[in-house]
Amino acid sequence: MAGRQTRSAYFFVVFPLGILLVFTLVPTVVGLGLSFFQWNGDGPPSFVGFRNFQALFRDAKFWPALRNTMVYGLVSVPPAVLLAFLLAVAVHARWFRGKALVRTLFFMPTIISVVAIGFVWRWLLDDQAGLLNYGLRLVGVDDPPNWLQDGYWPFFWIIVISVWQKVGFCLVLYLAALAGINETLYEAAEVDGASRVAVLRHITWPQAAPMTAFLMVTGVISALMVFDLVYVVTGSTAGSISESDYTNVLNLFIFRQFGYSRFGYASAIGVVIFLLTVVATAAQLGLFAERGGKGAAR
Amino acid sequence: MSSLRRPSLPVRAAVHLGVYLVAATMLAPFLWMLLTSLKTDQEAAQAPTLGNLLPAVWQWRNYPRAVEAADLHLYYANSTVVAVVTTVLAVAHNALAGFAFAKMRFAGRRVLFWMTLATMMLPMQCFFIFAYLISRWLGFIDNWQALIVPFLASGFGVFYMRQAVSAVPDALLEAGRIDGMDDWDLFWTIVRPMAWPAITALAIFSFMNSWNNFFWPLIVIDSIGEKTLPLAVADLASGQYMQSWPETMAAATILILPLIVIFFFCQRAFVRGVALTGIKE
Repeated sequence: MAGRQTRSAYFFVVFPLGILLVFTLVPTVVGLGLSFFQWNGDGPPSFVGFRNFQALFRDAKFWPALRNTMVYGLVSVPPAVLLAFLLAVAVHARWFRGKALVRTLFFMPTIISVVAIGFVWRWLLDDQAGLLNYGLRLVGVDDPPNWLQDGYWPFFWIIVISVWQKVGFCLVLYLAALAGINETLYEAAEVDGASRVAVLRHITWPQAAPMTAFLMVTGVISALMVFDLVYVVTGSTAGSISESDYTNVLNLFIFRQFGYSRFGYASAIGVVIFLLTVVATAAQLGLFAERGGKGAAR
Repeated sequence: MSSLRRPSLPVRAAVHLGVYLVAATMLAPFLWMLLTSLKTDQEAAQAPTLGNLLPAVWQWRNYPRAVEAADLHLYYANSTVVAVVTTVLAVAHNALAGFAFAKMRFAGRRVLFWMTLATMMLPMQCFFIFAYLISRWLGFIDNWQALIVPFLASGFGVFYMRQAVSAVPDALLEAGRIDGMDDWDLFWTIVRPMAWPAITALAIFSFMNSWNNFFWPLIVIDSIGEKTLPLAVADLASGQYMQSWPETMAAATILILPLIVIFFFCQRAFVRGVALTGIKE
């Protein structure tokens, strides 16, 4: 730290920190507090204690949204991470041809707007003219489901699309992690005559474990806050949010309550999501730490 | 497993086949989108066969049609202004703050830096309500300020720039000071060029986030004229039935085109920019 005490430092940090304070820090703190008030944005908020939460737990729309959000978080992230790991191991191998091309292809869904992604999948899954149902009819399935309408099928496809969309991002990060593994570990394994599977299990996977932990934790956090994909795939509009119990998620539920200007109630749902992310993160970090500890003992 | 002996040819072939098959599923939906966007409505509705995979006559006018139907040119302009202004200002702010945190001493530096890190962990999407109310009180609702101002700094951006600027040797800055440079000169003539790779990566990342941002614009924009492109395109497919698949696919192609073009021209920086998010969230 060669710096001197300087006044221009404050000039450099005041505006960025002001933005973070006003648009992130204060809304979070106030949001936690607002969950104990009833408020439509005009006039003073009135304190209601835990009544927002009591009302929430009696709300018939809450439990399906909570269940779907948790299912989405649990089911969409691990397959994407695992698939990305296996692909990264293959692509990282020295004999693999076309690394750059593969990375480019896998990257496409990462940079593309969820709106476009939702559209193209809705087109592929269209009941009448969609490619999937055409293919199914071709192989003799006469009455394929209407994927975007029937029961849990839309939610199933939302999970599939989300896995498809996440794989590339995880792949790129895994490639960076694999490039950082110490070569001498592999050389030692080779000297010992370890099998390919043994090397994968006992060197590559544990060495990449910090990245796996990172991808799982951040993946689950963002999955618990899912909004865009569900909104687009269910054909919602700002005026009419799809509230089907088959596809509803907590963030869509907040958005709906926000539309009614029930700011206290909406904040209470925000607190529920927040607590879910805290519990999920703590549970996963505990899990990975325990595994890591055992690995070290072995 | 680079140092391990090569597997046999059939194994290598199978692995390549598997990886490329999955890779193809990343591209295929977008190719199908592009092809559909160039067909007539009737063609798109027909059962696909090898014969009608490609459009009989390439319907380029679907593009002007889509633009006209939804006034996409207006939203394109909105999105471009918002994304460019956000990117330029946000990168400048984050870089200056990163410089201050990395190379200057001032009272409260540690506390302020911890505050910055804390904002990286806070889930904005759960507590957007009060951010909306603040924007409303500031008179930001329904205009560009709402889309730009909250994104003029990010905890991640400040953190990332601090890491990048830390790599600049102190001796260089000292030499600059002896030559009589003030902190601005130091930033512009020494820090900026040396941290340029990090700055471009952050710029690409900011542009992508701004261009694709959906949730926040949906909340703060009510009137039609102020919408950004993703909102306008999403409106095309409101409800369960699309008016015209080719037109919708043309609009979606228009939406993703700028990022695809940027992606192909600066792929390395792009991959680095997204790999950055590895530290984020």
